[in-house]
Amino acid sequence: MKLRLFLIAGLVCSLLLAGTSCRQEASADEKGKIRVGIVFDIGGKDDRSFNAAAFVGVKCAETGKRPDGQPCEDNKGALGIVLRDVEPGNPVSIEPAMRAFAERGYDLIIGVGFAQAPIMDVVAKDYPNIHFAIVDGASQLPNVASLVFKEHEGSYLVGVIAARESKTGTLGFIGGMDIGLIHRFAVGYEEGAKSVNPNARVIVNYVGVTDTAWNNPGKGKELALAQIGKGADVIFTAAGNSGLGAFDAVEQQGKDASGRAKDFVIGVDSNQNGVKPGFVLTSMVKRVDNAVYQIVSDVVNHQFKGGFHIYGLESDGVAYAMDDNNRALIPPDVIQQAEEAKQKIIAGQIKVTDAMTK
Amino acid sequence: MNELFNLNLLFSTIRLATPLILAALGGMFSERSGVINIALEGLMLAGAFTAASITYYAGSPWVGLFAAILAGACIAMIHAVVCIRYKADQVVSGTAINILLTGAPALLSGAFFLSSGSTPQVPEQHLIPYTPIVIAFALVPLTWYVLNRTPFGLRLRAVGENPEAADAAGVSVNRMRYTAVLLSGALAGIGGAYLSIGQSSLFTRNMTSGRGFIALAALIFGKWRPVQTMLACLLFGFTEAIAIQLQGVRFGGEEIPNQFIQIIPYVLTIVVLAGFIGQSRAPRALGIPYQKER
Repeated sequence: MKLRLFLIAGLVCSLLLAGTSCRQEASADEKGKIRVGIVFDIGGKDDRSFNAAAFVGVKCAETGKRPDGQPCEDNKGALGIVLRDVEPGNPVSIEPAMRAFAERGYDLIIGVGFAQAPIMDVVAKDYPNIHFAIVDGASQLPNVASLVFKEHEGSYLVGVIAARESKTGTLGFIGGMDIGLIHRFAVGYEEGAKSVNPNARVIVNYVGVTDTAWNNPGKGKELALAQIGKGADVIFTAAGNSGLGAFDAVEQQGKDASGRAKDFVIGVDSNQNGVKPGFVLTSMVKRVDNAVYQIVSDVVNHQFKGGFHIYGLESDGVAYAMDDNNRALIPPDVIQQAEEAKQKIIAGQIKVTDAMTK
Repeated sequence: MNELFNLNLLFSTIRLATPLILAALGGMFSERSGVINIALEGLMLAGAFTAASITYYAGSPWVGLFAAILAGACIAMIHAVVCIRYKADQVVSGTAINILLTGAPALLSGAFFLSSGSTPQVPEQHLIPYTPIVIAFALVPLTWYVLNRTPFGLRLRAVGENPEAADAAGVSVNRMRYTAVLLSGALAGIGGAYLSIGQSSLFTRNMTSGRGFIALAALIFGKWRPVQTMLACLLFGFTEAIAIQLQGVRFGGEEIPNQFIQIIPYVLTIVVLAGFIGQSRAPRALGIPYQKER
């Protein structure tokens, strides 16, 4: 009985400790600086994908360097901000984290991921003088900037590349959670593939229907193996950490006699070409880093605007990634075809279905 | 239909059942000795994180696997001391361990890898995709033999059913229980190692996603017996495998809606548990700390 009390006391203490560790008052060197708080999605900032891209954006704004110490692209310099981040362990700790930032008068609070949009709506209403930004979500409030991407357009382009590179005509898609935002990737990908090969078949799978779907690489791998078993030889993942299982699956299939991988994976959000070099055809990058950096910069320069900030192909907000890891994998005429499709989408000649407005 | 029922489905079932079998057999040792072990989820996470980290540093999956066994046993030792030495509520202790292990890897990975909850990826040549499967299926008959045909197994069962009688016969109840709980930690540790360095190539936060609890359900469904428990684990693995294989399969030109497929494992589990389980009797002394008479 005593021990049970001891256990409970220990638990309470650790919770208190966890609470106080966030409760840092503004120290002297923080005075006068813009303070930015970011609340990550359940995947956490090390998902090598979506959250990682958001972290690159805020880290560049803070230090002028990426989290791994590399210099930032496009001359993104330090903006002289104070940065605090929170990685919620479960969905219920998102709102307290946001409110904690708001209570301490942070200048900008960034929520990462569609799941935070309804929560941010509630919190932002209570703090009309604080700027908020939601990545992948939409809000009607004037003090919330909605940073959204035309994922369907970027997915269309990787669909074009995938269908051209596929030998079997069967492609795979692995989504994380079965939600509208991820359907947008799937539909764009399928349309892109069918524009090149009308007979292409796209097997669409989802890891799950709850937030654990982003953190289940074992199941991601099983889905990829099942798709490969059905003939898929290019698999596009949009599943956070679970997608990394698909990378393992294609690596396991090995390379053919000519040294070319038998099956390929297409990465998502961040440039994942270097995760398994030679097995990653390309990545559908979503420049969350640029969008997040831009909104921080807007706040620093007192130019913050609420409402929608839409990032598409024309602003390189979404793109397919080419680098030294995959240049040898894709022939120039395929690149040319993808570039033509890109120009046509920008010009409005090709309309890619947006699964979220359908 | 031949797209559905094929060898891939079988292999997928086996791979998905392997971590469940390892954890459930671990849970069996603990529970047959009378100590409830709902900490399987946490023990698996400990094994998974340790295996990925140590394999990454040591460059050898065998060192990683061994470390995962040790890590599982060490965490199980906490459970054992709290439940046996201090006679605390076994469910509370198990829950505490599960909570501890959702947080500890994030903290440690921050210290080792400047990351928050995941490890770097282990190169493919350092993965062990098959060994844990062999271990899991070899352990089933071995566990049966140990439980039913050895003096150790007899004592273990006696301690779980009637600790007073076992004590009177000269068996040290607490020593048996310590051994059993440590074994459960070691086995769940192997199950976790399979997740991180067998099935995948890294540890990510909460990557067990409930497998520890499913293993516990399989243990109860299997009536705390090795072979039945293995069959229960295979059933759970099969339901997940079929859900995976069914996605994107066409029946009469129509694809089955994904939401319907996602519920199959749950519906099948309910049907099986409600319809076929029959009477499942727990070890009689399960959950009761042993107080030696003075």
